[in-house]
Amino acid sequence: MYRELKKSGDENRRGWSKVQQWMIDKLNDTEGALIPINPEDIKKWPKPEKDYQVFLENASRLMIRFKKPERLIKMIVNVIDEQLGITHTAILLYKEQKNSFILIDSKGEGGVKIPVGFIRMTFENPLIKIFNERKNYVISENGVLVYEDIAALLKNKESLAKFEELAEIIELVLRQMDLLKANICIPLYYKKSLIGVLVLGNKMSKEKFTRQEIGFFMTLANDAAMAISNAQLIESLQYRIDEIKDLYTREHRVFVHTAIALAAAIDARDPYTHGHTERVTQYCLAVADELDVIPEAQAYKNFRETLHISALLHDVGKIGLPDQILNKHGKLTKKEFEKVKEHPAIGATILKPIKELNDVVREVMYHQEQFDGNGYPEKLKGSAIPLVARIIAVCDAFDAMTTDRPYRRGKSPEIAINEIQEKSGTQFDPIIVGAFRLAFEKKKIWGNTKRHHL
Amino acid sequence: MIKILVVDDEIDICDFVKNFFEERNFRVFVALGGSEALRILRKEKPDLILLDIKMKEMDGIQTLERIRKLDKNVKVIMVSAVEDQDKMEAAKKLGASKYITKPLVLEELESAVKAHVKEGKNV
Repeated sequence: MYRELKKSGDENRRGWSKVQQWMIDKLNDTEGALIPINPEDIKKWPKPEKDYQVFLENASRLMIRFKKPERLIKMIVNVIDEQLGITHTAILLYKEQKNSFILIDSKGEGGVKIPVGFIRMTFENPLIKIFNERKNYVISENGVLVYEDIAALLKNKESLAKFEELAEIIELVLRQMDLLKANICIPLYYKKSLIGVLVLGNKMSKEKFTRQEIGFFMTLANDAAMAISNAQLIESLQYRIDEIKDLYTREHRVFVHTAIALAAAIDARDPYTHGHTERVTQYCLAVADELDVIPEAQAYKNFRETLHISALLHDVGKIGLPDQILNKHGKLTKKEFEKVKEHPAIGATILKPIKELNDVVREVMYHQEQFDGNGYPEKLKGSAIPLVARIIAVCDAFDAMTTDRPYRRGKSPEIAINEIQEKSGTQFDPIIVGAFRLAFEKKKIWGNTKRHHL
Repeated sequence: MIKILVVDDEIDICDFVKNFFEERNFRVFVALGGSEALRILRKEKPDLILLDIKMKEMDGIQTLERIRKLDKNVKVIMVSAVEDQDKMEAAKKLGASKYITKPLVLEELESAVKAHVKEGKNV
């Protein structure tokens, strides 16, 4: 296990340049890097040199570009392990979901190495507590906790008297360091809040860490904290954005726009009913405003949405009708009319495979049924016809009456609404007719034959 | 000396927990799988078993079933990841005394082990 420390300058140099090369490689592959670096720029950077002073300068410049914090942490643990020969190294990072500090990466000898994912520390933990409340700066100038120094402090009654209120927690901190077999603990702060702790064991050479080395760890920790925070921020923002985008797209946009596009396609094929689908949809929504509160409407998962989509798609089955029927100038023959009567069923068949349109299928299927059972395709009666289909039936008929045909002129809205009223209880559901009249009086339904108004 | 048996298929965890409890004056045996655990149970008669739920060869629940056939009274503490919590019902029926979820707080592990061993010794 024990690796001879790289004392020779040559080898040391090779070590640092290896790590720097590793970073540059990772940054060149766009996956690891936030902003892939231009290979031309790398050439301008100083050659990796003698010691970690130079390495640090380069490292801090590179670190900020890492997108995945885990990679960065692994790199830090690797660097420390390779360069300084320490019994074990570990990094704890704050995780919001668990409200505690989790061990993210560790290296070291068996039994001493703390297994990844095995332990966590809460804010109750004395070590976390002292770092979080920044009391570490009271007992150590640079905020880094060194085992020997704390042990010495506890033995020295005189100096301990200065931190009377801290004496108890200092002892608990020392016990925590015992537990982790830590020689040094370095806090990772970002914008004044504790985001992690770097834990280091003893040097394998049993020597003490030098001031310079501790300084190195601190700089590394600070840069890492900033990089980790940036990466976490970006990650969580990206996640939120994706979530919202996903929801929006799936729930609505694609849904409604597809229906509108389909409706436009249907309208385009039938030159005599130009704008029919759009008007029927608007009438339906106006009627819904008057009907929202009835229990039958509330039984729908989403009444308005089902009505909206169903109205847009009610004639989708006309796609299956031959052009000569759709474009015919005169009245339809009995045989041709039989063909037209198939369009609700064709529409239902088209929509059936679309899972999101589950609720819409039956409404399209039954929009030509009549309240007294004289409609098609199944001669359903009364409330056996679903509510949305009953609404479409009234609006559909009204628009047909008020639209010009090659063989007849459209009726005025007033005449049409009287006709609708006459058929209330026979062809149409009286409740819907009532709501339709209310919407008409509020001028939300206008008819397609303005020139007949007089 | 109180004997505990640590069963986990991750060697790092076994080593770490063994070291941790040996320093607290326990005698610690480790097993990397269910069948090894049963062998040690027969031979060493531990006072307490720390049993991981998620293991490759034979999982913690199956291992616990086999343990109960050999020894109805040995104290067992289950160690599980949060996502395995549904299996805890089965473990309780088989007489597991407690469960601890990973990642765990070391002090909680220590106090759980001490509390259960004491309880056993007093009888």
